[in-house]
Amino acid sequence: MAAALPLLLSACLGGPQYPNSTFTDHTDFNRDASELWNTMMLWGAIVFVFVEVLLVYTMWKYRRRPGGPEPEHVHGNTRLELTWTVLPAVILVFIAVPTVRSIWRFQSGAPANALQIDVIGHQWWWEFRYPEQGIVTANELYLPVGRPVNFNLTSKDVIHSFWIPQLGGKRDAVTNRTNHLWFTPDSVTPNAFNGSCNEFCGASHANMRFRAYVVSEADFASWAAGQAQNAVFPPPAPDTAGGASAATVSNPAPAQAPALPLAPGYMFPAEQLPAHVVPQTPIPDGLVIPDEVLAAGDPQRGFEQYNRSLCIGCHRIRGNPRSPGVIGPDLTHLGSRHTLGAGLFRNDARHLAAWIKNARRMKPLSSTSMPAVGLGEIDPFTKQPVTAALGGLNDQQIADIVAYLLALK
Amino acid sequence: MATVAASPTYTTAGARRTGIMDWLTTVDHKKIGTLYLHTALFFFVVGGVEAIIMRWQLMRPNSTAVSAEVFNQLFTMHGTTMVFLVIMPLSAAFFNFLIPLQIGARDVAFPRLNAFSYWVYLFGGLFITIPILFNAAPDGGWFAYTPLTGKAYSPGQNMNFWVLGIQILGISSLAAAFNFATTIINMRAPGMNLMRMPMFTWMSFVVQWLIILAFPVITIALFFMQFDRFFGTNFYVSAAGADPLLWQHLFWIFGHPEVYILILPAFGLVSEVLPTYSRKPLFGYPVVAYSGILIGFLGFGVWAHHMFSVGMGPIADTVFGVTTMLIAIPTGVKIFNWIFTMWGGAIRFTTAMKFAIALIAMFTIGGISGISHASPPSDLQQTDTYYIVAHFHYVLYGGAIMGIFAGIYHYFPKWYGRKMDERLGSIHFWLNFIAFNLTFFPMHYAGMLGMPRRIYTYDAGQGWETFNFLSSWGAFLMAPAFLIFIWNFFRSKTRGEVAGDNPWDAATLEWSIPSPPPEYNFAQIPMVTSRYPLWDLTHPERMKDIPHSMDGWDEAKLRTGEHVTATGVHEPDVAPMHIESERKSAKELGIPMPNPTIKPLWVAAGILVLFSSLPVMYAGKTLAAFAMMAVGAVMFVGFLYAWLTTPMEDAH
Repeated sequence: MAAALPLLLSACLGGPQYPNSTFTDHTDFNRDASELWNTMMLWGAIVFVFVEVLLVYTMWKYRRRPGGPEPEHVHGNTRLELTWTVLPAVILVFIAVPTVRSIWRFQSGAPANALQIDVIGHQWWWEFRYPEQGIVTANELYLPVGRPVNFNLTSKDVIHSFWIPQLGGKRDAVTNRTNHLWFTPDSVTPNAFNGSCNEFCGASHANMRFRAYVVSEADFASWAAGQAQNAVFPPPAPDTAGGASAATVSNPAPAQAPALPLAPGYMFPAEQLPAHVVPQTPIPDGLVIPDEVLAAGDPQRGFEQYNRSLCIGCHRIRGNPRSPGVIGPDLTHLGSRHTLGAGLFRNDARHLAAWIKNARRMKPLSSTSMPAVGLGEIDPFTKQPVTAALGGLNDQQIADIVAYLLALK
Repeated sequence: MATVAASPTYTTAGARRTGIMDWLTTVDHKKIGTLYLHTALFFFVVGGVEAIIMRWQLMRPNSTAVSAEVFNQLFTMHGTTMVFLVIMPLSAAFFNFLIPLQIGARDVAFPRLNAFSYWVYLFGGLFITIPILFNAAPDGGWFAYTPLTGKAYSPGQNMNFWVLGIQILGISSLAAAFNFATTIINMRAPGMNLMRMPMFTWMSFVVQWLIILAFPVITIALFFMQFDRFFGTNFYVSAAGADPLLWQHLFWIFGHPEVYILILPAFGLVSEVLPTYSRKPLFGYPVVAYSGILIGFLGFGVWAHHMFSVGMGPIADTVFGVTTMLIAIPTGVKIFNWIFTMWGGAIRFTTAMKFAIALIAMFTIGGISGISHASPPSDLQQTDTYYIVAHFHYVLYGGAIMGIFAGIYHYFPKWYGRKMDERLGSIHFWLNFIAFNLTFFPMHYAGMLGMPRRIYTYDAGQGWETFNFLSSWGAFLMAPAFLIFIWNFFRSKTRGEVAGDNPWDAATLEWSIPSPPPEYNFAQIPMVTSRYPLWDLTHPERMKDIPHSMDGWDEAKLRTGEHVTATGVHEPDVAPMHIESERKSAKELGIPMPNPTIKPLWVAAGILVLFSSLPVMYAGKTLAAFAMMAVGAVMFVGFLYAWLTTPMEDAH
């Protein structure tokens, strides 16, 4: 009975109602961890049942009865005491051996064919770089099924910790160091997973989430090819054979612009997203821009507005030379992401507009991070209303920028 | 203390004070223990309220009951409060009250240093707690990991209060630890050899060495942080190339022994409670003592198991994983020894006994979950999740707090001369036991199902709602349980059933004197011949197979001497094991008692002023800060000088 208990437990907790359960066999790492867990829980359950039954039995059997005999005084029993010293030691050997084997398996370096991903923790978002593919993105990872993936983790500021519970154990992203974590998502059908920061990193530690999409090799290649491109905006009109006039706006080498693939790469289909990876964080009161204003947003106007806005100081859009910032997340393919604000909101016009309007109300931020931009908004740090002189934008201007950014597929 | 040439005209010379001054000037270890107990219970309420607000916020997803800023202060202060202001001082209350009584001494080795320890604790506790009323409490976690807690990422005053507050509290802990270690080594009654000491004194003795060895490490680590924050050094400044793991290693070299500093006194208390209510001696006394020493020793070699996710490499992970597993052995030994203490006994289920048994049952759960993160690959799925929160609450609440409750119910009659109400105690126990499990058991699930620690909010639909809801209701239920305890505690002081000197039929020296004990404790220091000296008198039939000897008498008698009564009769200070039920004053007996003095309080206040100057300086008020430093230094040096040049007892 004791043996069945932990197995039963992990089977129940792997069910769909627990979408972030660690009891999965999606990766080699988690299979090892689960196996260790099962071993330990088996012994743990035996010890637990033995100790608690012994305790309860002792309490019942030796409760004081009126007129009961005076207890016999026993001061110790060397044989018994040796037994309960040696037996736990033997049990520990059964736990220690697979433990050490697993430590050396996952800490002696990733397989040579592993996909390399650099993970850089920021207060409070994740920067992901795929050096071989030339991709820089934020808060959303794509991993091909069946290929080992090696995360090289570091931090720009304080210590963070990278964790996708369904795929593998966590590893800290430590300033001035590079840590490694690798696993192979080898027995999983294409799916989306939640990730989180697990080392306390300040005000928005709870809001430093991310997504990992495990997709087929072909879809991964398509996604990677799409992400590796520069942003093309405004897109060349389909009926313009040359397309040169449109492309000149943003492309540093206008002559080559038409040759670029115009179709965006693969994006994990929104309709296949499991419910738990779709954020439900509500928008704070008073930040919502009416739908009709958002619907009137014009990407071309937004492009021009963006290029004159505060945004460009911190954000980068490859292919838009006016936007070289490196402090905030790379926005080159913002439209290809499902989430916003480090996994906190859905990436749609409503949320993006509210975010631009007053990011510091959407999520607790630091005094050096994205300021409020909406005209008349009270910035939580300065406690002052945002004015036009400070770069404030009205709802329509924000709606235009939203239209532009969401067009960056 | 007592010297051979005691004055025949010994008086207390008007030094006896009343009312509040009595408490401010006391150097009596029992009164200081009482101060510790009440102050710690006050902070227990503070830490509990912090926890309940957190559980209110986490009861539902995407809740906005408190802001992230406030939540981060709450969890930082909950941890800091419970560790440094509640469990350690509750243990200190028992060290103070019990150690001299258990070893047959009239006070601790340094009574005035003892008062000083308490006042430093009180001032440090207030220093670190009061800022939360102004939304400026420490917010970097009780572990205060750098670089987050450096000036660059925590520019506010918040972490200043933490780094200075813990430094102040460290002074208190170290002073007390040296005091108790000295007391236990030097002041045992004749025949009270080490292997005859009651188990609580044994565990306390181990704890004093853990404090003496572990606190200097955190002191140095805090000085580095203090210099970084106030004087611009770069010990932990990552932008200047510092390794952020330096702090973590220093913190946990202190922090892991700290866990045993918290738990071993509770182990000691239940080792007193279980034999008493089973009417049997402790099973395997030497093994219980040795395993305590071994736990303390191994406790210094496992700190990096708090850091398996920081990337130490396979060798360190292997070593620390295996040493951590080894600790399970001496801990398991204790569990079995306690159960076999009960085995064959005649168990009385008093409230104290229920709490002691609950410690065995609950600590076992904490121990088993502890093994599951002694294995690094498994720990990587558990560390920094709610599973860990569940684990250490089973150890610290299910272990330390349950043990301390057992101790309070058990020793209340000795402390106040009256029993606590058993019916209310039973309600307290059951409500507390259910609420505790309801709060912390579901956290195991939340953690293994992916919920990180220290988050002020979480999204809906993550599979965590049920568990958080249950945990919150458990936490809310703990409040009435604790209120019942507090009601019972204060009511029983004046209205409880009068207990008598030895209500539980216990075996150790503290029960051989009146309840509450007179100021001098023992009119004549008992000469001990066995491990259960009181049973030698009350139950000689139980003692036939227990070794008796007069080992250690001669040496101890040399240190004890004689005293002179008011009528001028010379009496030896020692007497064969006896029961004292007569209550006289120290003056009548001619026992010189240390004079009450307020100087230790002022020295402690000087330290508070000195440390308080640094946040003032941080705020840019340099002149005011220098003025405070000068005042603090003058107070500290001046009152210390006055203290050290005043004889402890009246001139003979």
